[in-house]
Amino acid sequence: MADQSKKEEEEEEEENPSISLSVPQAFLVHLISGLGLAISLWVAHNLYSINLVSHSSITLRLIWIVESATVILIYSRFRIDPQQCSYLKAVVRGILALPVGALVNALGAIALGAPVGIQYLPKTINWSLLMSSFTVAPAASVFGLSWTYWQRIFAQTKPNGPLEYMICIPAHGAVIGGWFGAWPMPLDWERPWQEWPVCVTYGAMTGYLVGMIVSSGFVLANGRRQRLKED
Amino acid sequence: MISAVILQIIGLSLFVFGFFPVKPALSGVSGPESFYSDDGGDSDSVANHTQTSLPPHLLKSLYQELSGIHPSFDRLILMVIDGLPAEFVLGKDGLPPREDFREAMPYTQALLSNGMAIGYHAKAAPPTVTMPRLKAMVSGAIGGFLDVAFNFNTQAMLDDNLLGQFFRIGWKMVMLGDETWLKVKDTVQVDQNVSRHLESELNRDDWNLLILHYLGLDHVGHIGGRNSILMTPKLKEMDEVVKMIHLSTIQTRDNDQGKTLLVVVSDHGMTENGNHGGSSYEETDSLALFVGLKSDHSDYAASPCNSIYQVDIAPTLALLFDVPIPKNNVGVVISEAFDLLTDDKQLRVLELNSWQLLRLIQAQLPGLSCRNLPSHNGFTDGLASTIVECSGSVEKMSKSRDDYSCTVAAYHQFLKTASEWLSRRVTDKPVGLLAFGIVTMAVSSLTLLGLMICMSTEDQPGENQRLCNSITGMHKWSVNEIFLLGVMLILVMSMASSSMVEEEQYIWHFVLSTSYVLFLRKAVQPLASGSAKSLFKLMKGQAERHDIRISSIILLLISGRILRGWHQGGVNWTYLPDISKWLEQAGVNHVRSIQQASGLLVISLSMCALYLFGSRRKITRLFGLCFLICGLLVLWHLYHNNAFVSTSYDAAIQTQIIYAILGIATIGTFVALPWFIPLWFPGTCSELNLKSTSVTVDGQCIFSLVEFRDSSYLIGLAYIICWCLLQLLLQQPINSMPILLLLVQIFSSMLYFSCSGLQHIEVEVALLYYMGMAGHFALGNSNTLATIDVAGAFIGLSSHSMFLSGILMFIITYASPMLFLLSMLMYISVKCTSYLANHQNVDLGHLAKMILGFPCLVPVGLNSILLTSYTIVLVLMRNHLFVWSVFSPKYLYVCAATVCVYTGVFVVAATEIYTCWVLALRRKKQISIR
Repeated sequence: MADQSKKEEEEEEEENPSISLSVPQAFLVHLISGLGLAISLWVAHNLYSINLVSHSSITLRLIWIVESATVILIYSRFRIDPQQCSYLKAVVRGILALPVGALVNALGAIALGAPVGIQYLPKTINWSLLMSSFTVAPAASVFGLSWTYWQRIFAQTKPNGPLEYMICIPAHGAVIGGWFGAWPMPLDWERPWQEWPVCVTYGAMTGYLVGMIVSSGFVLANGRRQRLKED
Repeated sequence: MISAVILQIIGLSLFVFGFFPVKPALSGVSGPESFYSDDGGDSDSVANHTQTSLPPHLLKSLYQELSGIHPSFDRLILMVIDGLPAEFVLGKDGLPPREDFREAMPYTQALLSNGMAIGYHAKAAPPTVTMPRLKAMVSGAIGGFLDVAFNFNTQAMLDDNLLGQFFRIGWKMVMLGDETWLKVKDTVQVDQNVSRHLESELNRDDWNLLILHYLGLDHVGHIGGRNSILMTPKLKEMDEVVKMIHLSTIQTRDNDQGKTLLVVVSDHGMTENGNHGGSSYEETDSLALFVGLKSDHSDYAASPCNSIYQVDIAPTLALLFDVPIPKNNVGVVISEAFDLLTDDKQLRVLELNSWQLLRLIQAQLPGLSCRNLPSHNGFTDGLASTIVECSGSVEKMSKSRDDYSCTVAAYHQFLKTASEWLSRRVTDKPVGLLAFGIVTMAVSSLTLLGLMICMSTEDQPGENQRLCNSITGMHKWSVNEIFLLGVMLILVMSMASSSMVEEEQYIWHFVLSTSYVLFLRKAVQPLASGSAKSLFKLMKGQAERHDIRISSIILLLISGRILRGWHQGGVNWTYLPDISKWLEQAGVNHVRSIQQASGLLVISLSMCALYLFGSRRKITRLFGLCFLICGLLVLWHLYHNNAFVSTSYDAAIQTQIIYAILGIATIGTFVALPWFIPLWFPGTCSELNLKSTSVTVDGQCIFSLVEFRDSSYLIGLAYIICWCLLQLLLQQPINSMPILLLLVQIFSSMLYFSCSGLQHIEVEVALLYYMGMAGHFALGNSNTLATIDVAGAFIGLSSHSMFLSGILMFIITYASPMLFLLSMLMYISVKCTSYLANHQNVDLGHLAKMILGFPCLVPVGLNSILLTSYTIVLVLMRNHLFVWSVFSPKYLYVCAATVCVYTGVFVVAATEIYTCWVLALRRKKQISIR
């Protein structure tokens, strides 16, 4: 019992810095990461005139590079342990987490039935890197190797405070969106976008955006509640 | 529950009989009256009187007189080549057939190219299996869908057909077919048996109709697909036969022994893999080749590939030989066949055919007659006007050329519309029967559902009190539960889409692996320092348990993915690469070594499971030895009998012996084990490594529970081993690895469930049921009839028996759902263990309801939901374009799955009840002795 209460205290201590994120800041973060996605899509369409259907792996690569850079750079500012960890270090651990998260995502996708084969390999790699920048990379920049947070956010889905909402909800949104995005694949409409990983990517991006909107809502509600409490 | 089940069975049978078309067939036989028009009512009665009494030769001359078409042929040779796609002979889309096939059949190609033969793509109606297709060819009728079920037995055909008509005019028929449906893997012998007698028969003249049925090509297809290396030699052989027959017919004609018509037909085509049963172009593309029609017109250039319907063969042959067209025929005469006749005779042919079709239409739309035409709908209007036109033009038909072609065109139009209408017509379904069937099914499934919900809510509060501190994060509706309920919804919805029905395996796998991931997530949750509650119970054993849970789920995920990749399955993407294709390309030897290896692994795995059971008692050892011997026997048999050689009589005997031994071992275990399992008494409890070693008042109950657990574990293991060994024997060699993987899945899920506590039993049982269904598709099954493994259904049978082979086919097809249902026994025992570990006192009634009730109730309930909803879908889709090709086969599968679930649940329930009964009896005896 003593152990347990000590742990809980520790947790509460760790939570403190995460509250320091204000509502406008949260909106800005979401806006920037959404813009990153939009810009990368725009660049792909207009500058290189490629899209997910025609050149899926190149487009995916472009998107994940832009998105992961945006996300890592912006979330590293809100690292939970600014005393022990410099900004640069947070960026580095975000970058390191990117391939690890990609591996997890790729394994998950393959377990759920993504095709395995040499011709699908680049697509799968690029897609999973994109998924990783949606899900794992921001969490890694913010939390580092703190297992408690990871478990609370990804295994139990019990986010606590605005920062955790902002990481947890879009990540879950991306995964769930990708899951729903896979549903049209077995239909016999014979459309090019039914190929792996096109519709899954669309689903994941949609889910990510929806997740960001929802998390903004949560952050807003949370902020209001805090203010009420303070009053 | 039992009443609900019975209700459901009644509803299902009502629906099946109501829905599946039993065609409104005209009973009786066409007689001379078929040569009169309908409106002359007097001639009918006259003819009816004479028909029955006339001797054959008089009848024959009567027919000839009446029809007015004098037959140009005296004898008919009908050569049926089973499973030959017309594409092999005629090519596709105006292109010639493949080079090697063309070279394989030089004589036939020569006949075609110089106009001696006319070939057609005869479009067969689904289901493309042999017996209904043969029926269609000789009777011209399109059989009901349920005919598939009777594919194997229909020896006697009761409807009006060509053969009957020929018989009635005194023709002598010789049938050279082979009854060795049994030796499906034999590709050579079957056809040699036919050809052996052919020559002598050809030289004799005591027959009028010779029917040859060559099965070899179909067998080649079943073994190796369209591109089998055996295909070209087989085609060559068929070509030789055609050549022999044709030369002999020319000879007989030259000797003035009468003219002979050779008709080469195939009953259906085959898919790329050599299967058939569905309705794709490859399967329905059968051949109709008339050799000798135009023997004198060698200037006639090869006709472009014409397309007819398979049913057209019957009326054509009937009229070519001057017999009445069979009553239920829906086909249209092939006009090219009568090109040699004069114009009025040709018209007569068309007229006879029209009359016959008109009669059939009249039977289905009572009140319609030539003169008095009520307009049922737009179509009938059109039809009616055509009929008027026809009859009008016949009446005023003059000899002028112009009028003639006009009449012919009118006739053709009538015949075409009538035939299409008849063959496509949705038969009127008895609405009352259907509605009643659906309502009963709905009521029964609602009852089952209600029962399920009742039971799960009932034990929730009690459970929560007891177990609130055991595992964390369990509010009443956890994600997993919601998800597994959602799965049901998703499945029901997906069934309404034809492409989702075709590709059902994706859904099962996707849903199943998602639930694995969710379970994994749940297993990770309490790891290390989760939340407050888990720490409370964080002991060393608990951590170990989590490791076991996580690793077993990862094992499930991996094996599930391999199973998914084993067969591509489905309909639309079958060409995509999968593991089984890759292995088959790698060669037979690899496949066989994998088969051996997986056989060995199956045995060693089950021995491991037995060892994990842990006790070194005599009975366990005996049991292990027994099944080890069985397993080695099966392995030895597999080793010695290559798939291509296993036609020998010895092999069949060996297989029968193995069936017998497996059966005896299983039934023996089932019967004897509860009698011999050692009873536990408080005195011996030091051996027990249970937490509840302290002797309580409930000691008796606990001990009886221990016995029950042990015996149900052993019996469940026996069932599983026996079933796996049987599958190793029956399934195609390529499927032995998936069997092993399914076994791995069972064991690892048992491992998982053994650590997962007692909540959510219904969720876990549902998961097992889903795993069974996913495995069903992983073994290469799909929702088309083409993937049923017919070859396996004859393994070890030495005589043709529809019943036995049907059972074998069922065993092969429903291998995986049955396996998982049988594993329920093991699941029950595993749950007993965790119950013992968690509880000091035993509430037997509650336990029985929870542990025994759910494994029986949940599969039945889930299945009944699927069945009912799919029935409703089928009714809604009854006018869908794909109703016969997609939805109805799926419905047959659903019905068979229902049978499978009922069998499995019955076995489980019977075993449990029997075991309980025996154990109670023994305990009573022991106590009384003491």
